[in-house]
Amino acid sequence: MESAFINKLKPLLDAVAGQMDVYVPKKVGQHFVYSKYDPSAETGVEFNNVRVCTPIKEFLFPLRELAAVFPEPVEPKEIKPFAVFGLKGCDLRSIEILDKVFTEDEFEDPFYVARREKMFIISSDCFEPAESCFCSVLDGKPFAQSGFDLNVSPVNDGFIVEAGSQKGRDFIEKNSELFSGPGDGLLAERDKNRTDTQKQLEQNNAELKFDAPIKRIVENSQDSDVYDEEAKNCIECQACTRVCPTCHCFYLYDTKQKDYFAKMEMWDSCMRLDYATVAGGENPRKILGDRLKHRLMHKFSYFLDRYGIDMCVGCGRCVDGDAGGIDIRAVFKKLSQELKGKGKKKAEVGK
Amino acid sequence: MKQSLYQPINGEIVEIIDESPTIKSFVVVPEGGFKFKTGQFVELTLPGVGEAPFTPSSSPADTEKMEITIMKAGRVTGMLHECKKGQKVGIRGPYGNGYPIDDFAGKEVYIVGGGVGLAPIRSLFLTLADRVKDFKSVVCRYGAKTPEDFIYKNTLFGSWQKMDGIEIKLTVDEADGQWKDNVGVVTTILEPNDVNIKNAVAVVCGPPIMMKFVTLKLLEFGFRAEQIYLSMEKNMSCGIGKCGHCMLGKYYVCKDGPVFTYDRIKDYPNIWD
Repeated sequence: MESAFINKLKPLLDAVAGQMDVYVPKKVGQHFVYSKYDPSAETGVEFNNVRVCTPIKEFLFPLRELAAVFPEPVEPKEIKPFAVFGLKGCDLRSIEILDKVFTEDEFEDPFYVARREKMFIISSDCFEPAESCFCSVLDGKPFAQSGFDLNVSPVNDGFIVEAGSQKGRDFIEKNSELFSGPGDGLLAERDKNRTDTQKQLEQNNAELKFDAPIKRIVENSQDSDVYDEEAKNCIECQACTRVCPTCHCFYLYDTKQKDYFAKMEMWDSCMRLDYATVAGGENPRKILGDRLKHRLMHKFSYFLDRYGIDMCVGCGRCVDGDAGGIDIRAVFKKLSQELKGKGKKKAEVGK
Repeated sequence: MKQSLYQPINGEIVEIIDESPTIKSFVVVPEGGFKFKTGQFVELTLPGVGEAPFTPSSSPADTEKMEITIMKAGRVTGMLHECKKGQKVGIRGPYGNGYPIDDFAGKEVYIVGGGVGLAPIRSLFLTLADRVKDFKSVVCRYGAKTPEDFIYKNTLFGSWQKMDGIEIKLTVDEADGQWKDNVGVVTTILEPNDVNIKNAVAVVCGPPIMMKFVTLKLLEFGFRAEQIYLSMEKNMSCGIGKCGHCMLGKYYVCKDGPVFTYDRIKDYPNIWD
């Protein structure tokens, strides 16, 4: 069975929790964050209408982890199966992007791969896009298209559960007593909900229709003053890179323990002043505006050249998280205007 | 589960050679031997302190031990300079592309080095010297701040100068009483007819400012950007094109480099910083 119907989320999550740890969205203040699901709690689980605040990369590429022990290596800890509920279309695309980096040919990261294989993904449709959501600008959809094991779509009186992988199909089959057939009416309702949300997103982002691809807009901005202007608002908090689900910079550092040495791996940020500094003191990006520019170039030009995909999913977490008020959408608009201006100048010179 | 990508192999420093007041060479024996191509680099860990990228200065023909020449420049290199014989270290790698020496066959190889930049060049030099007949000629131009700052003094002033098929010229920025050779930065000893540019490659390694001016000089002589091989020094950390620290435009210097022909990187901002 590819699709099924279920009245409530609790029995679904309880069934998953019978097999593995499950992480579910929990509202804290205005935002959702992840916490471990407790089947014995009466309150059940909240359906997150929008992506959670924290990036999904946390589950695959933890903030800090033990990378190596020496001189005597130790067997790495086995990763236990775990499930995460409530990933959105943008989150699934962010995993696709991280896969490019961490499962690359000869340099496949075994820790990432183990977590990736053990992660049971239960995605869900978006209902109320946040003000900052702009996935539609990057060809994203407010619902899952691929990369999930199960997807949950709210409909009248319940949820449609769709399998997106063999693991998902097996789950529905094994727990068939929980589900009933979805019925054509409910599927049509789901599709209408999706179309409505998509329309709403496009409406919210109507101003972000550009004449040129973002790649060209960003590549054209090498000499732009926009970055130095934006840098005046940047307080170098690095939040944009922390909450970004696709940013994956890290650094390695060494520690001395009682009877062994350890190499640790920890998230880093290309916004940090000394991020690229070499031992001799040279730093190619000592100017903050240059660091902002590098980040955009990486996301929309360099990464695309290397992996054939933008390193941004339009989730808007950086917009929400930025303490200085830099809005990547506004930066696009300014850079797009500059490109248009250049086009005009050229046309005039040509006359 | 497989071991981490960042698991170093164990090694030991078996000899330390004072090269100049700020530079030492460390002879390292990695457990189980170690293979690399000339121009590739390794991440050397001083346990509990940190790691840093270095290009071995020895010939890849020796797989039992390698030599790593290190200038005291930052925290890790400072601590390495305090180390004694017998110090345990970790080694990861080799990483990066190295010099494409097979592409140099039949050509004149014009090597320009400065300061500690002689370290990777020594490895290249020894590799070329092993099969010197494969190349039309090997022409070297080395510079140092003062005569005392030259590294590999014994061989540089001695046996290397007498090798067949190899020509070497040296210069210093500031001479002392005994120095009878050239005085001036390395660009002052470069001449347009040092090699037949049409059938030559240039290999440049040294401090960023020196690489910049040598590159400009070579272009002025008529070298094309794709004939100039630069060994780029960036903040390589993971070594495998993931952590992002060494990005130079779209390239990861650790994975796509550290050797680049100038045409590949010339349009990116601040490449010499």
